[in-house]
Amino acid sequence: MPIPNINILRERSAYFNSDAVSNYLKPKMKVVEKVKSNSASGIAIQVQNLSKSFGDIKVLENLNLDIKPGAFVAIVGRSGCGKSTLLRLISGLDQAEVGSISYDGNPHSSINGDARFMFQEARLLPWQSVINNVRLGLKKTDFPKALNALQQVGLDARADVWPSVLSGGQRQRVALARSLVHEPRLLLLDEPLGALDALTRIEMQGLIEKLWREHGFTAILVTHDIFEAVSLADRVILLNDGKIDLDINIDLPRPRQRSDVELNRLGEEILQRILTRPVAS
Amino acid sequence: MNKRSHYELPNWLSWLKDASGWLLPILLIAFWDIAARYGWITSKILPAPSDIVNAAINLSLSGEIFKNILISTKRAGGGLLIGGSIGLILGLLNGIFRPADRYLDTTIQMIRNIPHLALIPLVIIWFGIGEEGKIFLVALGVFFPIYANTYHGIKMADPQLLEMGRVYDLNHWQLFTQVIFPSALPSILVGLRYALGFMWLTLIVAETIATTSGIGYMAMNAREFMQTDVVVLAILIYALLGKLADTAAHLLELRLLQWHPSFRHS
Repeated sequence: MPIPNINILRERSAYFNSDAVSNYLKPKMKVVEKVKSNSASGIAIQVQNLSKSFGDIKVLENLNLDIKPGAFVAIVGRSGCGKSTLLRLISGLDQAEVGSISYDGNPHSSINGDARFMFQEARLLPWQSVINNVRLGLKKTDFPKALNALQQVGLDARADVWPSVLSGGQRQRVALARSLVHEPRLLLLDEPLGALDALTRIEMQGLIEKLWREHGFTAILVTHDIFEAVSLADRVILLNDGKIDLDINIDLPRPRQRSDVELNRLGEEILQRILTRPVAS
Repeated sequence: MNKRSHYELPNWLSWLKDASGWLLPILLIAFWDIAARYGWITSKILPAPSDIVNAAINLSLSGEIFKNILISTKRAGGGLLIGGSIGLILGLLNGIFRPADRYLDTTIQMIRNIPHLALIPLVIIWFGIGEEGKIFLVALGVFFPIYANTYHGIKMADPQLLEMGRVYDLNHWQLFTQVIFPSALPSILVGLRYALGFMWLTLIVAETIATTSGIGYMAMNAREFMQTDVVVLAILIYALLGKLADTAAHLLELRLLQWHPSFRHS
């Protein structure tokens, strides 16, 4: 095992020795309740007349979309349908030529502390230990917060190792902890599970759903896996050729069973819809 | 029939296997010693290894050898510090700021194409045979490998990590210390190792041409009196110092790049 930053070890053991922190860490239920208290904290998003093109290719065309605070929305579609572009525009990482995006009614242009983005790759800093990755951009005194976030994704025991020794799923869990430690009001997920194996995906889906229910942020998930979309989201939006082709609510109780008949029927319906559409040129 | 393809040593001789790489050099030195002793090679061409050891003992007793090593090391260290710092700063500057890159890089690349040892006559005119000239040459020699590798390391910083830094509201300074500099560090350390090679090379040449002290001077002085044992000793000291510097740089890599899978030692 690699030898992590000595300062961290010292800092950590100091925290573990203090009663305040062990009390802080032990009662997990308390933490959950504390977070639930600001569960009305999700952001409402309005997308109006949004258009974006790369050179001659129109990726999004005159798109309108309203997302309720605290909703879990999944965006699906063929590769190249513009779903990732839409997510990046909503986040403020990229800018649209035409149209506007507002958070809670206020115009939004560049990414800020309210929103966090999870990429397909974990994008951890390889030269920082796991805990230091979670602490990125945090104040020094927020160390217990970071440790708590790691605990929520079940990786507090791996706090002091380098990211390179973790599996792909563990790295994405660290990335998830890093996003959540800032208590975002909006979490944008750009196929974060795309590169994981089937079993790890199911575990990660469960974890994301659990944390979303506990924290109450608005979540927008871009995925190419229709069944992932219907099992996680309240609402699934199908993009085709830069336009919304289908927009359906999924009113199924949670936690959802993967074998649920209605869930599979909805998934099949969306899939058929995609397959009947011609491939965008 | 014995099916073993290799002959295996008995256990009590297994240490021989670990030392097998040293077998040839030891045999060569033994042959060299015998050849010198029986007069097959005259000591004016190549002295016996035992003569070199004697020369080392004598020069150590008089303290001369340590005085010269100290002076040479000071020149090497001074040049490395000055040239290395300038290389590092300019590499960072040009790697990060596009305007600086536009105005400075062409000039630096032009200077790079002048072999710095060709400047020796000019350097003697400028600085005489004092310390400044040698430090100047060493600084010039180490500047380019450090500059080029720092610049390259910065340019190679992962754009995905830089974007991630943006998502996490890192300011320019945090982006530099947390993302850009650590990603350039492996490349900078490669530059340092190259620079150490150039450092000794430059010093060896500079000390044999214009100087009154140092290991190079010791060798050139011995040549005047045909003391080949001292000449060979000076060459060996250079080799040893070079190896020491390289080992130090490697240890620095192991220390600073612990996170890197290729530098992990378990």
